[in-house]
Amino acid sequence: MIGAWLIPVTVLVPLLGAILLMTPLYRKSTLSVRVVTGAFVTATCLLVVAVAMLGEKEIELFELLPDIPVFFRSDKTAVWFAVLTVAMWMTSTLFSFEYMNHERRETRYCVFSLLALAALMGVCFSGNLVTTYLFYEMMTLATFPLVMHEQTKESISAGITYLYYSLAGAFLGLIGVFFLYSFAEERSVAGGVISYAAGGFIRGDLSNNERTALTIAVFFMLIGLGSKVGMYPLHGWLPKAHPVAPAPASALLSGNITKMGILFVIRVVFFSVGPEFLQGTWAQYALLGLALLTVFLGSMLAFREKVFKKRLAYSTVSQTSYVLVGLYLLAPVAAMGAFLHIIFHSITKNLLFLVAGAIIYKTGRTKVAQMKGIGLIMPVTMICFTLGGLALVGIPPFSGFVSKWYLAAGALKTETGPMRFLVPVILIISALLTAGYLITMASDAFFVVEEHEGHGAHGGAKKEETASEKPADADAEAVFSENAAASPAENDEEDEFDVITADSAQKGREASPFMLIPLVVLAAGTLFFGLFPSLLTDWVAQILNSVF
Amino acid sequence: MDFVRNFPFFSILLPMISGPISSVLSGKRAKRLNFAVVTVSGLLSVAAFVYVLSTGEAFNYRMGAFPAPFGNEIRVGLLETMMASFFCFVMLLSIVGGYRFTKVDIPEEKQNLFYIMMNLLLSSLLALIYTNDMFTGYVFIEINTIAACGLIMIRGWGRNLLAATKYMIMSLLGSGLVLISLSILYGITGHLLMEPMHEAIVKIIEQRTYNEPLTVAVGLFCVGIAIKSALFPFHSWLPDAYGYSTCASSAILSSLVSKGYIFLLIKFFYRVIGTDIIHQIQVDDVLFVFGIAGMVFGSISAIQQTDVSRMIAFSSVAQIGYIYMGFGLNTEAGMIASIFHILAHAAGKSMLFISLNSLSDGTWEYANYRKLRGAAYRHKIASLGFAVGSLSMVGIPLLAGFTSKVYYAKAAFGVGSTPKMLIALVALAISTVLNAMYFIGQMINIYTPVGTEPEPGTVKHSNVTRVAVFMFIAVNFVLGMGSEPVFRWIQTGLAQFM
Repeated sequence: MIGAWLIPVTVLVPLLGAILLMTPLYRKSTLSVRVVTGAFVTATCLLVVAVAMLGEKEIELFELLPDIPVFFRSDKTAVWFAVLTVAMWMTSTLFSFEYMNHERRETRYCVFSLLALAALMGVCFSGNLVTTYLFYEMMTLATFPLVMHEQTKESISAGITYLYYSLAGAFLGLIGVFFLYSFAEERSVAGGVISYAAGGFIRGDLSNNERTALTIAVFFMLIGLGSKVGMYPLHGWLPKAHPVAPAPASALLSGNITKMGILFVIRVVFFSVGPEFLQGTWAQYALLGLALLTVFLGSMLAFREKVFKKRLAYSTVSQTSYVLVGLYLLAPVAAMGAFLHIIFHSITKNLLFLVAGAIIYKTGRTKVAQMKGIGLIMPVTMICFTLGGLALVGIPPFSGFVSKWYLAAGALKTETGPMRFLVPVILIISALLTAGYLITMASDAFFVVEEHEGHGAHGGAKKEETASEKPADADAEAVFSENAAASPAENDEEDEFDVITADSAQKGREASPFMLIPLVVLAAGTLFFGLFPSLLTDWVAQILNSVF
Repeated sequence: MDFVRNFPFFSILLPMISGPISSVLSGKRAKRLNFAVVTVSGLLSVAAFVYVLSTGEAFNYRMGAFPAPFGNEIRVGLLETMMASFFCFVMLLSIVGGYRFTKVDIPEEKQNLFYIMMNLLLSSLLALIYTNDMFTGYVFIEINTIAACGLIMIRGWGRNLLAATKYMIMSLLGSGLVLISLSILYGITGHLLMEPMHEAIVKIIEQRTYNEPLTVAVGLFCVGIAIKSALFPFHSWLPDAYGYSTCASSAILSSLVSKGYIFLLIKFFYRVIGTDIIHQIQVDDVLFVFGIAGMVFGSISAIQQTDVSRMIAFSSVAQIGYIYMGFGLNTEAGMIASIFHILAHAAGKSMLFISLNSLSDGTWEYANYRKLRGAAYRHKIASLGFAVGSLSMVGIPLLAGFTSKVYYAKAAFGVGSTPKMLIALVALAISTVLNAMYFIGQMINIYTPVGTEPEPGTVKHSNVTRVAVFMFIAVNFVLGMGSEPVFRWIQTGLAQFM
C-alpha cells in the first residue's frame, strides 16, 4: 500500500519544491535556490527509482468526474518514461546551475522547471486517459514560461506559438478521449472505471459506422497529439521555441516534453484503441505517411539551417518522428525500435542542446558558421558533441544504430505494402542528412582550414582588433553581460565573431565541471546503451508481449 | 409541517422587505444590512437544501395556505435550493469583492440606492428560482429587470446611461414577449400554476386542438428569455451593460441575472411543457443552432475587443451559447451539463470581473489591453484570480470549466442523432480554441513585465477583495475536482421536476 502511495508523491515532491521556492524565504540567494532545486529533483529521482523497484502498483486518488478518477499506475511503460525523465532532469538541472548565471530570474526558471517535472511525473504515471490529459495540459502550462524565459520579443512570440499549438493539439486529443470513452468496454479495473489496458479497451462488437467514427476520431487525436511530438503538420512551434529558450530548457523540451507526446500516443495506440483496431486502416497509412514525411522534412530543414539550436530543433522534428514511424507500424519489432529510440534520442538530444548551451555560455556563438575551430577551445565539449552526433546518425557501436536497426528490420517484417520498403529507404536518407548536418560540424570544430592565407590574415587583423576585449572575454561573467546574452536575432545583424585559429584558441576556456559532468555522462550513456542494449530490450519486450 | 419549509419563502421576503428599509438608511448601514440579508438568505437556502436532501422529495409551499386560484405557490426541490444557495454565495462574494469599487464609483448619496437594488435583485432571483406560478415568474422577471437596470445605471457615466437604456429596451421587449406567451398559454390551458398547466398541455397535444398557439407560445417564451439572457443574435445590449458597470454590478449581472431567467426557462421546459413536447415542436433544434452560433460568434467578437472588460462580457455571450446548446441537446445529460455550466460560469465570470477591476483599478481607461500589460505585478491575488478564471473558461483540467466541457461532450455522445453530436463536438472544439486565443493571450499580457515599476493605483488593494478572489478560486477548484456530488444533486433535482 505504501508503495502505491509513492506514485502520487513523485508528483507532489517537485510541486512542493516549486511552492517552497515561491515563498519569499528563498528569494534571496542564488545558492539556496540551487540547493533546493537540486535537492527536490534528486528526491524525485530517488522516489522514481523506488517506484520502479516496487513493481506495478496502482492508486486511485479522487474522482475528478463521476466514474473518472485521477488514477495512477506504475506499469512498465510508465516506469520507462519516468526513469528517463528524472535522469534527463538531473543532468539538465545540474547544467542549468552554471548556465543560468547569464540569465536573469533564475528562481522563476527553477520554479517552472520543478512544476514541469511534477506535471511530467503525472503524465508518466497516469493510469487513464483523463489523468494523462490533465497532466498533459499542466505540462504545457508549466513549460511555456520556460520558453518565454528571456522575455525578448522572439521568445514571447515563440512561447505563445508553443502554447497555441499545444492547446489546439491537446483539445483535438480531448475530443478523441471522449470518443474512446464512449466506445469503451466495461472493463472493471478499479470499481468499473476505465483505465489503460494493454491491447486496448475498445468494445469488440462495434458496428461498421462506429468503427469508422472511432478511426476518424483516433486519427485526429493522434494528429493533435503530434503537435507535442512535432509531427507534420503541427510541428511549427518546435523550431520557433527551441532556439529562444535557455539551453537546459530546450534540452528538456526536445528530449522530454516531446517524449510525453509520444507517451500519450503510445497510451492511445497500444493501451486504449489497441494495435489490432488500427492495423491496415487508412488511418495507419496516413499517420505512417505523415511521420515518414516529417522524418524526411525535418532532416532536410535541419541540413539547410544555419543557426545551431534551430538545426537541432529541426533534427528533433525528424528524430521524434522516427519513434512515431516505429509505433505506427504497429508491429512488435518496430515498436521495440521506437521504444529504444525514445531513450536514445532523449539522451542524445539533451546532450546536443547542452553542448549548444555550453558554447553559447562560453563564447556567445549561435550560428553553425561561427563554430569552426570551436573544438580547439572546448575540446571535451566538442568530443561529447561528436559522440552524440555519431549516435544520432546511427553508427555502431553507438546507441542510435540499435534503435534504427530494429526500426528498419521491424518495418520489413510488417504487412504494410510499399510502406515497409519505404521506411528503411527514408531512414537511410535521413541518416545521411543527419551525418551531413552534425558530423560536418564536428569535423569543422576540430580541423580548422588554415590554407586561406588572405582570410587568415584578415582574421589575424581582426584578432588584433579584438585582442583588447579578449581578457574580458575569457572571463565568463563579463562575457555574458555583453554579447552572450544577446539573442540569436541580434547576432544576425552584428556578426562580430572572428574565426578561431590555433593561436586564438589558447585564450579560450573549456566549460566548467558543472557543465561538463552532464555532457560526459550523457555522452557515455550514448555509447553504453549502444554496447549493451539488451539491458533495455528485455524490459521493452515485456511491455510489447503484453500489448501484441 | 416542519418549520424549515418556510425558509425559502423567508429568503425571498427578507431581501424584499429590507429594500424599502434601506431607503431610509445611510449608505454604510445599507451596506451592512445588505450583507446581513444576503448571508441570512443564503443560510436559509442552505438549510432548506439540507432539509430537501434529507427528506429526499420536493414540496410545494402555499403562501398563506390559500389553495390555488387565490393563493400563490412556490416549489422547493433539491435543484431550486441548491441554485438559491449558490446564487446567494456568489452574490455575497461579488458584493464583498466589489466593496472598494462600489464606494469609489457611486456617489455617497446614492450608495443606499445601490443596496436597495441589490436586495431587490436577490429577492427577484430567488423568486424566479422558487416560483411555481408562471405569472409570479413574469412579475419577478420585471422586478429583476428594473433592479438590474438600476445597477447598470448607478455609476452615472454617459456610457452607463446609454447601456441601461439599451438594456431596458431589449429587456422590456423580452418580458413583453414572455407576457404575450403567458397570456396565450393561460388562454389555452386556463391555469397559471405549473402542474395543472402541464396536465392541460398534455391533453392539448393529445387532442391536437391548440397545437399552433401552443407552439407560438413556447416560441415566444423562449425568444423572450433568450433576449433577456443575451443569447447570440440578441446580445447587443450585453457588452455595454456588463463592461462599464461598477465591479459588483458587472460580476452579479454576468454571473447571476441572466441565469435566473435561464433557470425559469428550465422549469418551463420540464414542469410546464415537458421535454418530449419541446422535442416534438422542435424548439430544441432552434435553441441548439442559436446556442452553437453564440458559442462561436461570441468568442469571435471577444477576440476583436481591445477593452478587456468588453472582452470578458463578450465571452459571456459564448458561455450563454454553451448553456443553450445543452438545452438544444434536450437530453437529461445535456440539461445536467447546462446546469453545471451555469454554476461553473457564475463562479468563473464573477471572479474574472472582480479580478479585472482590481487589476485596472476599476477604471475604464485602465481596462485597455495595453494599459493592462504587467498589471499582474500590481495586484498578485487578482492576477491569480484572473489566470484561474481564464484557464477555467478555456477548459483546463482541475477547473470548473473543464468539467462542464466534459459533461457537454458526454451529453453530445448520448444525444442519439449523429449530425447533432458531431456539430456539438466540433463547436466545443472550435469554441475552446477561440477561448484559449483571447483568454490565454490576455493572461500572458498581464503577466508580461513592462520594465518600469507600475504606477501605484488610485484604489488601494483591499483585503476583502483578496478574500473574495481566494474564495472564488477555491470554488472553481472545488467544482472542477469534486463535481461528483454536485452532479448527483442536479440529477436528483431534475428527476424531482418530473
